[in-house]
Amino acid sequence: MTDEREAMSPTKIGLGILWPAFWTGLPIKLAFVLVFLAMGVMEFEGRIGLAFIMLLASPVTVFALPIITMGLESHIGEGAGIAFLFLLSIPIDIWALGVVGRTYFLEKFRKEPPDGLGLTLWWKCALVGAIFLPILWFIVGTVTSTAISLAHSLLDMEMLKGVPVAERIGVELALWGSIASAVLIVLLLIGVSLIGRIIRSTAAAAPSASENYQSLVTRWDLMRVPADQGLTFAALALGGVVLSVLFWASLPVTTPHPHECCKKPDVKAQPPFKPLEALNKDEKLIVQLSAQVEALEKKAEEEAQGKNKGKGKAGKEAAKAADSNAPVQSGLRKQ
Amino acid sequence: MAQPSIPSTQPTAIEKVVAFIDERVGLKQMQAKMLNEPVPGGSRWAYVFGSVLLFIFIMQALTGILLMFYYVPTADHAYMSTQYIIHDVDYGWFLLSYHFWGSTAMVVCVFAHMSQVFLWGAYKKPREMIWLVGLALFGIVMGFGFTGYLLPWDQRAYWATTVGVEIMDKTPVVGDFMARFLKGGPTPGQMTLSRFFVIHVMILPAALMGLAGLHLFLFRSAGPAGPFRGTPEEIRAKTDYFFPRQVWKDIVGMATVFACICALAFWEPVVLLEEATPDPGDYHPEPEWYFLFLFQMLRLKIFAGEFGQFLGAVALPGAFMALLAALPFIDTDPERNIFKRPIALIGWILVMVTILLFTVSAIINREFLD
Repeated sequence: MTDEREAMSPTKIGLGILWPAFWTGLPIKLAFVLVFLAMGVMEFEGRIGLAFIMLLASPVTVFALPIITMGLESHIGEGAGIAFLFLLSIPIDIWALGVVGRTYFLEKFRKEPPDGLGLTLWWKCALVGAIFLPILWFIVGTVTSTAISLAHSLLDMEMLKGVPVAERIGVELALWGSIASAVLIVLLLIGVSLIGRIIRSTAAAAPSASENYQSLVTRWDLMRVPADQGLTFAALALGGVVLSVLFWASLPVTTPHPHECCKKPDVKAQPPFKPLEALNKDEKLIVQLSAQVEALEKKAEEEAQGKNKGKGKAGKEAAKAADSNAPVQSGLRKQ
Repeated sequence: MAQPSIPSTQPTAIEKVVAFIDERVGLKQMQAKMLNEPVPGGSRWAYVFGSVLLFIFIMQALTGILLMFYYVPTADHAYMSTQYIIHDVDYGWFLLSYHFWGSTAMVVCVFAHMSQVFLWGAYKKPREMIWLVGLALFGIVMGFGFTGYLLPWDQRAYWATTVGVEIMDKTPVVGDFMARFLKGGPTPGQMTLSRFFVIHVMILPAALMGLAGLHLFLFRSAGPAGPFRGTPEEIRAKTDYFFPRQVWKDIVGMATVFACICALAFWEPVVLLEEATPDPGDYHPEPEWYFLFLFQMLRLKIFAGEFGQFLGAVALPGAFMALLAALPFIDTDPERNIFKRPIALIGWILVMVTILLFTVSAIINREFLD
C-alpha cells in the first residue's frame, strides 16, 4: 500500500490538488467578479470563456496572464477590476490550496501536512504557471493556425472541391480541432504533471501520519469545520449581505446595452410642482385679467355713449350691439 | 452561601411554535428523514447537480412570474412589451437576461446531471425508474427552451419556431397533428403564441413539478448509489449524513450557478432582433444553441430530401432517446466503475464529441451564410 502511494503518478497528484482547489476558491471569486461587473470596473472583449477560466484558475494564471497579455499581445479585457481580482485571488487561492492540500496529504499520502502548506503550494503553482502557460499559449496558438491552414489547403485540392459546405466545415473542424485539442491536452497534462512532481517532493519531506484510516477521515473532516462555527456563519452572512447590497446598489437600473431602436430621447426634468405657489400665481393672473376686461368694457361704454350723442341712427345700432354682448360680459364679470 | 443558578426549563416562543407545528404535521420526523439520509462514501461535488437544477427551476419560476407582470402574450404586443421590459422597466433587462441564461444553465446542468448518473452507473438496478423519470424531465426542460424561445416575438423567435415545428411535422403518425396543434393556423401567429405561452407557463411547470417530486421520492426510496470506486471499508469510513456536508456543497453549487448566470446576464444581455414577420429578409433562421448540433446535422447531404430529413430530425434522435430509456434494461451488469465499462465510456465520449463538433460547425457555418 505504501509503495502504491509512493508510485502515484504526478499527473494524478497535480489534478487531485489543482481541480478541487479551483472549485473551492471559485464561489468566492465569482462573488467579486459579479460585484466588479455591476460596478463597471471590469469588461471583457472577445474570448469571454477563456478569460473567465484564466481569471478563476488564478493559482496558476496569477503571473501567467499578465505575461500572455503583454508578451503575446492577447487582449482579453479592460478595467482595473481585472487586476484587483487577481490581487484578491491570492489569499483566496492560498486558503483553498491549503484546505485541499492538507486533506490530500492525509488521505492519499498518509503524511502529516507541513505548516504553511497553502502558501508553499501557491507560490510553486504560480511560478510553474508563469513559465509554462505562456509557452503553452504560444505553441497551441501556432499549432492551431497551422492546422487550420493545412485543413483548408487539403480541402481545396481539386479532387475534394465538390465537397458540400456543411460537410467541408465538419471535416475541416474535425481535422484542425483534433490536432489542436491533442496538443492542448498533452501540454496541459505535462503542466499538471510538473506541479504534481513539485507536490510529491514536498510530501517526501513530510513525516508519516500514524493513525488508522478511520481516524484520518475524522481528522481531515474536522480540519474543515471552523473552531467557532457561530462566528464563521455570522462573518459569512455579513459578507454576503455587504456584497449583495454593493451589487444591487451598483446594478444599472436600465440596460447598459441600449439597442439602436430604443435609444431614449433627452428629456429635461420638469421643475417640481408647488400647489400653493401655483394657486397664488393663478389668482394674481385672474385679478389682472378681470381688471383688463373691466377696463375694456368701460372703454367700450364710453365710446358708445360718445357715438350716441353724435349720430342718432348709428347710435341705435351701437346700442343693439352692446345689448347682444351683455350676457358674455356679465359672465366674465362673475368669473 | 449562594445557590447555583438553575437553568430555565420554560420553552421559548419559537420552541412553542415549532412544537405546535410538530404535533400536527410531524415536522421533526420529516426533518430527520430529509437531513439524516446516509450518503455512501460521503458528500461529493459530483452530487450537487440535482439540487442545483431544482434551484435553477425555482429561480426561473420567480423571474418568469416577475416578467409576466409586464409581458403581453399577443402577436401585436409581445414584441413591444418585451422591448418595454428591456428598456423601461427598472432592472427589467437584468430579469429577462437572467431568465434567458437561466434556461441555458438548466440545459447544461441537465446534461451534467445525466452524464454524472450515466458515468457513475447510477441508472442500474434498483434505480431504473429514477432514470426513466429523469429522461422525461430532460424532455420537459427541452420543451421549456423550445416554447420560451417564441415569446419575445422577434425574427429569431419566429423563425426558430417555424423550423422547430417543421421538424416536428416530419414525425410519423402524430407529427402532422402536433404541428397543426402548435401552430394553430397555416403560419405562426396569435394562436401559436397563445398556445406556446400556455404550454410554457402552465403545462410544463405543472408537469415538471409533478415529475420532479416523483423523481425525488424514487431517489429517496432507492437511496444514493454512492461512489463507483473504493473498498467497502473506505466507503463505510467515509459514509456521512446528507446534513451538513452535502447540504453545504449543494448551497455552494447553487451560489456558483447563480453567480455564473448573473455574470452571463451582464456579458451578453438579451437584445431583440426586428419584430417577427413572415419574411425572413436577411435573417438566417436557426434554433437555440442546444439544438444547433441537430440543425447542422440536417444540413449534411446524407440527410437531404424528405426521407433524409425524417431520418436526421426524427428517426435518429428518437432512436437515441429510446436507447437511453432502454439502457438500464440492456446494461444489467452490476459493475458501476466507468473505467471497467469501456463501451459506455467510449459511447459517452463519442456523443459529447459529436454534439461539440456539430455545434461549433453550425457557428462556423454562419460565416458562409452572411
